[in-house]
Amino acid sequence: MATVSKVSDKWILIIDDMEGMRSQLRMSLSSSGFAKLHVVANIREALARLSANHYDAILCDYSLGDSTNGQQFLEYLRTADLINRNTIFVMITAEQSYAKVVAASECAPDDYLLKPFTAAEFNIRFEKLLNRQEYFTAIDQASDKKNWPRLIAECDKLLANRDKYFFDLCKIKGAALLRDNQLQLAEALYREVIATRPLGWAKLGLARTLAKLGKKAEAEQLANEILVEMPQFMAAYDFLGNLLSESDNKKGALEVLMKAREIAPGTMHRIRELSTLAVSTGQPEIAEEIMRETLIKHKHSPVRQANDYAVLSRALVDQGKTEDALNVVQDARKIFTDNDSNVVLAVTESTVHHAAGNDELAHAALEKAMSTGDMASFSADALVAMADACFALGREEEATRLLNHAVQNNDEDATIKDKVHAVMVAAGKDASEATALIEASAAEVIKLNNEGVLKAQSGQLAEAIELLSEAADRLPNNLQILGNATLVIALDLVRNGKDPVKLAKCLAYRESLTKKSPSHPKLEQIDGMLKQLKA
Amino acid sequence: MNDLDTAIMHDVKNQLAELALRLRKRGDARAEMEIAMNSSRRLSEMLLLSRENSDQLWVNADSVNPADFLEILAAEYAELFPDVIFHVDVERAPACAFFDDALVRMALGNALHNACRCARSRVQLAAFEQDGMLVLEVYDDGPGFPEDVLKSGGKLPAAVSGAGTGLGLYLAHKIAELHQLNDQHGHIELSNDGSGQTNGGRFRMVLP
Repeated sequence: MATVSKVSDKWILIIDDMEGMRSQLRMSLSSSGFAKLHVVANIREALARLSANHYDAILCDYSLGDSTNGQQFLEYLRTADLINRNTIFVMITAEQSYAKVVAASECAPDDYLLKPFTAAEFNIRFEKLLNRQEYFTAIDQASDKKNWPRLIAECDKLLANRDKYFFDLCKIKGAALLRDNQLQLAEALYREVIATRPLGWAKLGLARTLAKLGKKAEAEQLANEILVEMPQFMAAYDFLGNLLSESDNKKGALEVLMKAREIAPGTMHRIRELSTLAVSTGQPEIAEEIMRETLIKHKHSPVRQANDYAVLSRALVDQGKTEDALNVVQDARKIFTDNDSNVVLAVTESTVHHAAGNDELAHAALEKAMSTGDMASFSADALVAMADACFALGREEEATRLLNHAVQNNDEDATIKDKVHAVMVAAGKDASEATALIEASAAEVIKLNNEGVLKAQSGQLAEAIELLSEAADRLPNNLQILGNATLVIALDLVRNGKDPVKLAKCLAYRESLTKKSPSHPKLEQIDGMLKQLKA
Repeated sequence: MNDLDTAIMHDVKNQLAELALRLRKRGDARAEMEIAMNSSRRLSEMLLLSRENSDQLWVNADSVNPADFLEILAAEYAELFPDVIFHVDVERAPACAFFDDALVRMALGNALHNACRCARSRVQLAAFEQDGMLVLEVYDDGPGFPEDVLKSGGKLPAAVSGAGTGLGLYLAHKIAELHQLNDQHGHIELSNDGSGQTNGGRFRMVLP
């Protein structure tokens, strides 16, 4: 093979549950010059390897025994950011699972290999994948940093070549434009691709853009059109289900996702959506069946979450099976021990006790949930779940306080507002009351922010710093507050000279901001001031 | 075909692939390895075909580089047919074409396999655009397609000749037809005007 020098220093991880296939791949790869190979039989071993090494490529069989399949594993790796975007992921599949594999294209591997394949076929395909990997390095790096403007700029550089990767680049750029909310540009790009060729991903990208632009009817129509032409296009089901669910057509959303389920075994994401929808449309038996089957299938697999058990438990409660529901919570406790999971499970337990008429136990479980950490440490979902349980037990004031915090600490996440709204409506509140609470919470934090900025502008830097950094510590996910807190400290340092304590705080805030939003507009200003300090 | 039939075919297919691998390891049974590998692949196609009958064969078209596509195919068959000279002509090929990589690979692989068996010494692969369609072409310098195969043009699954071309051509015909743009469908064309003086077989898959 011509590229022996190229491949000999590449790290490869092979995952296959069949011994024969493992040795075949190992033999084939080593005879082609690959020297750095790790071969494992299951996901557990693969994760252990992945946490200790960097791999240039992962070859994974779709079918990994009667458990989590290769597609679900890939979805897990990508959502948990366990591999970087530049890592080549090749799915090996037999023809009978081929359609299922390709169907699950939301989180697509870089290539598919259909069994049986020859060593020559594998080698030349792999060589082309390595070339592709090199070509996309800068783009993939920007993607790992979630730096969409840089990713878009890198795409533009390469798009000018009009080479064989042109449409791959369009696909990646379109997704980045969407993430960066550059909706007009995204729409134009997708329409341009469709004019050349009505590819499924371009049509779905356009539908996503239209939905974000508020043109929901058009988006829905387009998604339906995609599914008529390509009933195997699973990502379109997920999109349509989500769209319907957001427009409060939960029954319709459930129907769409059930149809998808007939075609391919779901990704974990879809299974979660399905079960949640089934519970909220009053069909807990569907949720129970799907979630039970899933949790049994994925026994010993890392793709499960505490919340999956919470949903199952809720489905059981809704059918009056409170004892079963409690058992589910106990089972989950043995598996999940992190803080967020503890909250989710304690809240679930509280709900079960309440449904069974044991309010004393329900209060105790809820106390346990709320004592696992302080407000700032809870995820938005945990806050909303606790508020839900508070409402159920008549603890209105606490519920409101939790929701208020959830809104204020997640100013840029629109889905939190929807969730807060849903919880309040479920607790019997008027929709107008829910909206009022959300708006008041948001307004309160905006007022606080403006006060801080005004103080800074009028020269009261010490007061501004006190106000904004208190808020930033309390609401670490509110990027507006975090950005301004960082900025006023930097300003103070420039004006009043270096102070090691203030500088440390400023840098810590800056790091937190960069982590959460690498292309945050305030960063440029902040960095400008920090540079002045060095000069 | 019921689930049991499918499972049996699948199992036999895997065993043949395993046999091919062992023969490859031995290194002294290339022809036998080729037979086993080919049988395994043929079973793969039949399994796909049986899915097509139950309406489950879907085209997932995306951008494909025809040069890469043909080079991969040629490399694969060059390993199975070391005595055949392969020539890949992609000078007129567009940088991007649109089709289902895996399905068309299967169809063209079959055509290429037939060409390798029939060829005296040379097989050529080409990709180019003609009248707004993409043409993927396989031709050889062998004796050409038999009369009955030319006549049916791959449209009948029953036309299975001794060389086993019938089923593969039928599948290729189906796969081409499933590729659609606006009202245009793909098709295949068979003729005996391949390279050399012998009027060897020429297989063309024409895609919209």
